[in-house]
Amino acid sequence: MERVKRRLLKQAVADNIDTIRGLPPRNVRPAHRFVQLWLRRSPLLLMFLTLAGSTYLASDPTPARDTIAPAKIVLTRAPRSSVSLASIDSTPIDSAAFPLSVRRVVIDAGHGGNDPGATSIQHVTEKEVTLDVALRLKTLLVKHGFEVVVTRADDRPIALRDRARLANESDGDIFVSIHVNSIEKHISSHGIETYYLGATSDPSLTKLAADENRMSGYSVADLHKLVERMYADARRDESHRLAASIQQELYGNLRASDRGLENWGVKRAPFIVLVATEMPAILTEIGCMSNDAEAEMLHRAEYRQHVADALFQGIRAYASAADAPQKKGS
Amino acid sequence: MAEILHVGIDLGTSRSAISASNGERFVVESFVGWPADMVAKKVLKRSVLIGHDAVSNRTMLDLHRPLERGLLKEGSEKDVEAVRELLKHLLGLVGVSANGKVDAENVRAVVGVPAAALRTNKQYLRNAMKGIVDSLLIVSEPFAVAYGLDALLHTMIIDIGAGTTDFCVMKGRYPTEEDQRTLTVAGDSIDAQLLKLIEERYPQANVTIFMVREWKEKTSFVGAAPEKIVVTAPVKGVPTDLDITNEMKAACETLVGPVVETMLDLLAKVEPEFQERVRNNVILSGGGGLIRGLPEALEDALKTVGGGKVKYMEDPVFVGSDGGLALALDAPDGDWEKLS
Repeated sequence: MERVKRRLLKQAVADNIDTIRGLPPRNVRPAHRFVQLWLRRSPLLLMFLTLAGSTYLASDPTPARDTIAPAKIVLTRAPRSSVSLASIDSTPIDSAAFPLSVRRVVIDAGHGGNDPGATSIQHVTEKEVTLDVALRLKTLLVKHGFEVVVTRADDRPIALRDRARLANESDGDIFVSIHVNSIEKHISSHGIETYYLGATSDPSLTKLAADENRMSGYSVADLHKLVERMYADARRDESHRLAASIQQELYGNLRASDRGLENWGVKRAPFIVLVATEMPAILTEIGCMSNDAEAEMLHRAEYRQHVADALFQGIRAYASAADAPQKKGS
Repeated sequence: MAEILHVGIDLGTSRSAISASNGERFVVESFVGWPADMVAKKVLKRSVLIGHDAVSNRTMLDLHRPLERGLLKEGSEKDVEAVRELLKHLLGLVGVSANGKVDAENVRAVVGVPAAALRTNKQYLRNAMKGIVDSLLIVSEPFAVAYGLDALLHTMIIDIGAGTTDFCVMKGRYPTEEDQRTLTVAGDSIDAQLLKLIEERYPQANVTIFMVREWKEKTSFVGAAPEKIVVTAPVKGVPTDLDITNEMKAACETLVGPVVETMLDLLAKVEPEFQERVRNNVILSGGGGLIRGLPEALEDALKTVGGGKVKYMEDPVFVGSDGGLALALDAPDGDWEKLS
């Protein structure tokens, strides 16, 4: 037993030293050796490599045994060959593999810094929830080959016009702004709603827009001009489709885990971030802080992951639909 | 020359424990909270709260559970900070601090973390813990448990924690990927399920996840009900007795299926000649092991493959940190120098 203990301890220490040195985990490394073995033995694979990596092979015709660099090359190439490496799924997905017309998504986590947004009685703040959901959504999108720009990646205040400017400058294909509602009359009920740009005659929406537009740095006159200019914009149809897609997935997916969740639908409202952005843009209210049960749910990381999943589904649904007609045209 | 203090730390999703070579042992709940605003800071008179302290003051706090679901969330500064605070707090409890009895420079720490965390963000974890102690060895929690119990050969550890259930078959080597499994069906998922079931049965009752967790820790069971489980919760503001026997059973039993399935699957992967020995050496640790009837339910499942024995740790709280301490004491000086 003492001998076993000593050996195990040695292996544990070695494992930690590897980590300190930044080496890949041991469970990956035997796979390298396995692939190298295959390479040396299989002429078929060598032929493939000659095609795929002729420059590398020309400079070094026999795969080196001891250097790490060749092993890395093997690792990235191998999944394309027939060698079974299903256990290694860390190869990043190349976005070029998916000819999406929606490639770059701008995610806007509402509020931030000295502007906490809505606050629940449990002291869950809107800025934290939106940031957390935004980062989770980002991870999902990146994993599925999208490029992602976030307007904020930490807790800091960013003016609304700067958010829109950032979105425009980064050439985003779509803009998704994440917010959490807090409506006094909705203490006992809670729901999800998604906005795209448009005029509204509902006074409560005007108030909501006013709340979210605070600190925007735009004057009322500016806003009117902007809104008027934008109303005719064709991107409104796209924004509407995006809003509908996201709303549908959000409600559809969250209904199961959040009992009593209401579908408040897709609405139009003149939020600044929707006005000033130049791409299809929506603002989604993923929940309702004023409802205690909902605030409690939003407090849970698990539920926020659900929200991010649903948002991702919505974006993906929109993206694949946006892609389809284009393919027919070309 | 100052004396060197060896410590073993079990950084769990729900509870964290420390065992030190000076004989001190402590356990805290893995919650870290920062006052949510200036008012809270004034009321609490502290800049950070840890453990039970944090849970009981949660309404005033920005509350974090850094290893929720068994992982340290990358990119979340607050969670990294929470891990650091938790470590500092634990070390402070055994006398390590800037002006305490022991200087951090003379501490050698073995930290056991959920197997899933170690697998996915080893580097990240190490960086998160940097600078708190001089020498640091990070190991997977089931390994620390196995080491502490001398159960290093032909044993299966099933560690049912809050965020994850970790499985590890010890084959006399440092566990590799294929020796370990992680399920997210664990204490937290039982809590969520139980809360849902109670809310469905008593829609008027006002029940929080924290209340549910407390009830579960006291009365969890699977199989035949050992007694009627009645709890008190406000219904429309009036404290009312609620019978939650069926809900408790249903919620706890969500664990049985996945655990049995994974256990049998891992068993099937053990070399045939050793399978019987492993079957007779299944060790249940973690808070989930306290669920009444669970060892029996697992033994029932083992009957389908020839029968076996499931043992439950008498002292589940410190089994991980004690294992870590044993590792810390056993590691030669030369190794520690490499780990600083």
